[in-house]
Amino acid sequence: MSCCERRLKLADTESVCPVCLETIPAERWAIGDEVRLIKTCPEHGRFSVPVWRGFASYGPWGEAARAHSRTPSPATAVDRGCPHDCGLCPDHRQQSCCVLLEVTSRCDLACPVCFASADRHGRDLPLDEIERRLDALAAGGGRVHVQLSGGEPTVRDDLPEIVRLVRRRGFDFVQLNTNGVRLALEPDYVAALAAAGVDCVFLQFDGVDDEVHRRLRGAKLARLKDLAIERCGEVGLGVVLAPTIAPGVNDGQIGAIVDHAIARMPTVRAVHFQPISYFGRRPLEPTDADRFTLPEVMAALIRHSRGTIALQDFHPGSAENPYCSFSGRFTVDDVGGLHPTGAKPSCCGVPDDLERPARAEAVGGCCGDAPPAAPIECCGSTRPSPDVDRARRYVAGQWRQAASGGDGEAADAFDRFLATRERTLGLSGMAFQDAWTLDLDRLRQCHIHVVEPDARMIPFCAFNLTDRDGRSLYRASTISAEAVAG
Amino acid sequence: MIDALGSAASSSLICLSCDAPLEPGKIEASYLGQSFPVDLPRCPKCGFVYVSEELASGKMLKVEQALEDK
Repeated sequence: MSCCERRLKLADTESVCPVCLETIPAERWAIGDEVRLIKTCPEHGRFSVPVWRGFASYGPWGEAARAHSRTPSPATAVDRGCPHDCGLCPDHRQQSCCVLLEVTSRCDLACPVCFASADRHGRDLPLDEIERRLDALAAGGGRVHVQLSGGEPTVRDDLPEIVRLVRRRGFDFVQLNTNGVRLALEPDYVAALAAAGVDCVFLQFDGVDDEVHRRLRGAKLARLKDLAIERCGEVGLGVVLAPTIAPGVNDGQIGAIVDHAIARMPTVRAVHFQPISYFGRRPLEPTDADRFTLPEVMAALIRHSRGTIALQDFHPGSAENPYCSFSGRFTVDDVGGLHPTGAKPSCCGVPDDLERPARAEAVGGCCGDAPPAAPIECCGSTRPSPDVDRARRYVAGQWRQAASGGDGEAADAFDRFLATRERTLGLSGMAFQDAWTLDLDRLRQCHIHVVEPDARMIPFCAFNLTDRDGRSLYRASTISAEAVAG
Repeated sequence: MIDALGSAASSSLICLSCDAPLEPGKIEASYLGQSFPVDLPRCPKCGFVYVSEELASGKMLKVEQALEDK
């Protein structure tokens, strides 16, 4: 640290101790070009971790609207406080957008890094139990997106039947979270999934060569990943590449992954980068050098574009906490260059399409002296959230394979406009929080939830939260540090 | 009868105000700053344009949502 480095306290918040998971006060500090979360457990000491590297984007992200909405029917009461009462509790500030249903804890890989700590010896969720959870979801959750997850969901032969169970209840967007191994090897299985109603394959895709896959997943998977994409394309399934970015392993491949995606459009609809989080099965206690933050992903994307895209072409999510994500949509030209799709940045650097009423009321205008948009104090309405609805539509619009816009003489201007989607690539990122980085302000606004056996809904980062020794707050299965080492 | 554009055949539609049969014609639909020249049945007298329910809740809705989500 130099003598002239900026040190500025930004805000108070809360977090947990990575050792005992007790809720403790925390502070956000700007130190140099980083924002750090700093906290002290009375029993286990002080922890300081970088959560945002690149101060230039921190301000504009914070100005994004923070529209809140309460869950219509809280399943748990506030007792110990966040994050110990998840269900959702009345203190949660956002409704569900995407709900994960873990249909198995089995997996056909044994990755050195796995938030679910899955292996070959798990169990499948019985179909009647799946139906019970879906019924509860349909009764209380509205029109959420359903992501079938695990474990590795494609180890189940009856996965197409599970997709039909989801569809039968009226859920209109079904994502499949997969490593792609079975999709690569069994075209008939892929066709059955598409026929059953899968909209989008969320494909674990950490890099473009076998070395990256070997280090993160313990196997050579590059050829299988490409085969999986081909198989999906053959049956009209949209694919989103989902790279886990680990510093020193694949942070140098961000541009190569984008090029790989572009070469496989329109089957590949988007790349959704996920900087590594240290929960579940993980190899070490993270240091600063093991962290990669969202602005670093955006910076790598901007560098890769060689000047055709800029920071203002990305924006925070519309429903989750702004510091949890970024996204942008880009038109790909004939030589693979990226260009913004036309969202016009305002003079504050935040896209105009974020200028919704909540922002206008809170800020009072663009570039004025008014303070950044403040959360609505009462935790918002229990009505279906327009922000969550918008987030759902954004994802469905970009991640599903583009519908044919029609061609020839029958095509009209509407068709031609819709056809441009085929040349549109989504680039986005999401920062999941672990026991070191967890900021309860962010967690309370989480809109990605996991549905539990008793129909409780647990925010994703709370569900996967594990302490320094691998003990889980919510997952039924826990692992020990010894087991990881073994 | 609904044709490929999702619009009803013009000959079967009468303008309620003018009592004139609608005729196919080029119109310009616009939304959020973007214009779309399309052929739809319109009244030759008052210019009333007929948009079928299928078109409004189908392709046109998809275009509107795509523009809103930009």
